[in-house]
Amino acid sequence: MPVWLREHSWRQTLAAVYLSLPLRGARATPANIFCSEQYLKVSVPPFLFEAILYAPIDDANSTAKIGNGNIFFTLYKKEPAMWDSLTLANAGKEKLQYLRENAVLKAQEKAKEETEAKKITKQEHKKYALEATMRLEEAERKRIEHLKEQERQKIAKELEFWKNQQKDADKYKSIQKKGELPQEIEPLKERKNEKMNKTRIPNEETSKIRLKSTKGHGSRSIFSQNLKEEQLPAPRAAATIKVNFTPRVFPTALRESCIAEEEEWLHKQAEARRIINSDLSELEDLKEEEKNPDWLKDKGNKMFVMGNYLGAVNAYNLAVRLNGKLPLLYLNRAACHLQLRNLHKAIEDSSKALELLTPPVPDNEDARVKAHVRRGTAFCQLELYTEGLQDYEAALKIDPKNKNIEKDAEKIRHLIQETMQSS
Amino acid sequence: AGPERPQVVSHVQQALSYTVFDCKWVPRSARLLCLGSAARGTGLVQLYELHGARLELLREIEKPKPIKCGTFGATSLQQRYLATGDFDGNLNIWNLEAPEIPVYSVKGHKEIINSIDGVGGLGIGEGAPEIVTGSRDGTVKVWDPRQNDTPVANMEPVQGESKRDCWTVAFGNAYNQEERIVCAGYDNGDIKLFDLKTMSLRWETNIKNGVCSVEFDRKDINMNKLVATSLEGKFHVFDMRTQHPTKGFASVSEKAQKSTIWQVRHLPQNRDIFMTSGGSGSLHLWKYEYPAQRSKKDSEGSEMGVAGSVSLLQNVTLSTQPISSLDWSPDKKGLCVCGAFDQTVRVLIVTKLNKI
Repeated sequence: MPVWLREHSWRQTLAAVYLSLPLRGARATPANIFCSEQYLKVSVPPFLFEAILYAPIDDANSTAKIGNGNIFFTLYKKEPAMWDSLTLANAGKEKLQYLRENAVLKAQEKAKEETEAKKITKQEHKKYALEATMRLEEAERKRIEHLKEQERQKIAKELEFWKNQQKDADKYKSIQKKGELPQEIEPLKERKNEKMNKTRIPNEETSKIRLKSTKGHGSRSIFSQNLKEEQLPAPRAAATIKVNFTPRVFPTALRESCIAEEEEWLHKQAEARRIINSDLSELEDLKEEEKNPDWLKDKGNKMFVMGNYLGAVNAYNLAVRLNGKLPLLYLNRAACHLQLRNLHKAIEDSSKALELLTPPVPDNEDARVKAHVRRGTAFCQLELYTEGLQDYEAALKIDPKNKNIEKDAEKIRHLIQETMQSS
Repeated sequence: AGPERPQVVSHVQQALSYTVFDCKWVPRSARLLCLGSAARGTGLVQLYELHGARLELLREIEKPKPIKCGTFGATSLQQRYLATGDFDGNLNIWNLEAPEIPVYSVKGHKEIINSIDGVGGLGIGEGAPEIVTGSRDGTVKVWDPRQNDTPVANMEPVQGESKRDCWTVAFGNAYNQEERIVCAGYDNGDIKLFDLKTMSLRWETNIKNGVCSVEFDRKDINMNKLVATSLEGKFHVFDMRTQHPTKGFASVSEKAQKSTIWQVRHLPQNRDIFMTSGGSGSLHLWKYEYPAQRSKKDSEGSEMGVAGSVSLLQNVTLSTQPISSLDWSPDKKGLCVCGAFDQTVRVLIVTKLNKI
């Protein structure tokens, strides 16, 4: 239960009420004071002072001074009139309650309005600041542009001047050609005179004269140009120089960033060729050439071309048993399986081929495109169109110019759309 | 970017209706040539003149095969004949005033001529006028316009050796009538230096990336510096004054950008400044600084070169496509033209080069 403070004293003028409230030793801060238009409360635990004012006051302008164990309120009346008493005497409990709540609500509303107003002013300030910076930056940019424009115009003028000089020099030269003096003494003398007369030395004359002086030769006669032409050496005796190049397996240009990948690929290929699985018992029945995976691959290729797909598969199977690391064997076997409609096996083989065709280098681009296309075809024939499309798109990525792949990819996309629409 | 740094200002931009492979200034003039391939598979040579802020097309010449590269290097200042290499391996020299029939023509190579250079003309350097061509067929051939049909030097692979594309060639060391050196860069990273006086291989090295462009800083002096640019955004500057018996020439290398550096061109008026053009459409302007001592003795007492350092003066991105060709004007310092694969040729001016 709070302790009510009742020892307040007050006096009034027409416009204001002065209320003095002694705090019994307690300290008060502005947070402890709550004031609205007709309600005043001071709560400094455990003390409590509450007053329903006789008439409304202007709570925005009223002040409270805290000090000396006392709070001194200066409340400005809304309507200048003399109050009978500080508080409303006949305030019932309910009225009190109602007034209290009302006061609190009003205070909250006011607080909300104030924050709103603050937000708006803040935004306006920001906007203003932004516009000011924009204007400043615009001015700066214009200044720089202006400088650049000036520079450009200056250069353009210089260029025009130089160009006109060239034109003049050309004209002069063509006149001279027409004249075709056997000795160049006369024109040179004239030119030298011109050089002294003109304030700005034309390029052609000085450069010609300068060129002659930079030769640094003993014979610097005026006939030097003519003589030079006569002194041109005969064409060289034809000869050949044989050249060796730093060895490079790939036909593409050397790039430092691709060296590691290319090395890996070459290494893998070399490894693959060396592996021969030699502990198969059936090997003894085979002829010498049948133990060579490359020979078997060729055999398989021939049979494929002739339409003997089963035979080709057999050849590739044996080759794979001998050397399981050649990607081309799996690639070709996948093609056979496609023809035989062993679609799952075709997918397996294409996938195995792709595995072996890493790292991706320009050298194995063709093989990778074929592997993707074959796997894609197999997926489509199994009606797994999305997977098939993925493979076709991968093939397109490697070889974007291939029209057939593009057409097929389009067809698959249409098929997918149809199945989606119908399902 | 301090105010004293050279600025690259784009002066004129011209959209073309064909792929431009090479662009060259016509010496002693404000005219430039664009060489390329039209959509219908023919070659085009267009002659433009600089008029204020635009390029005016003066002449257009169409040839049966697309043209890859061209040079004025072997022609005299009066004649100004253009030597071109085309996609079919033909080397032709044209008189632009009468371009119907070439002044010189030879089917020099079996495949496209990737790069061409000329020396002995334009009043620069000494000795016979010669043109060198490098081709995808792996050979580098040197031609004399006074000798028909057969090259005066042929650098070809040894019998049985598989060929590598030659991507770039350059002349150098032409300081008197006898000396000549040809530098060739190949797609497997090989750089080879051929001495034409002794007809032998003088030096070779491999820079681990395909060599896109090589250039000596000057053709007509005792060879001083060689810049080689390559794939993967790298370039190397070799100091060519001192050759060590085993280690060859000293070099410094720089990785400028993520993409291929297509061309390097030295400023004709200052041989220590060069510009590189990149696959990302950017141009970088570099300055080479010499070391305190250009050569030193190694542990066995032989001389070896010391490479200096390269600093970036400016860079600018002009296009989204590679800038494949670049040429400085020999007459106006800082004026250059570049052609990019976005079918645009741009005339640029690099300012403040006097202050370097």
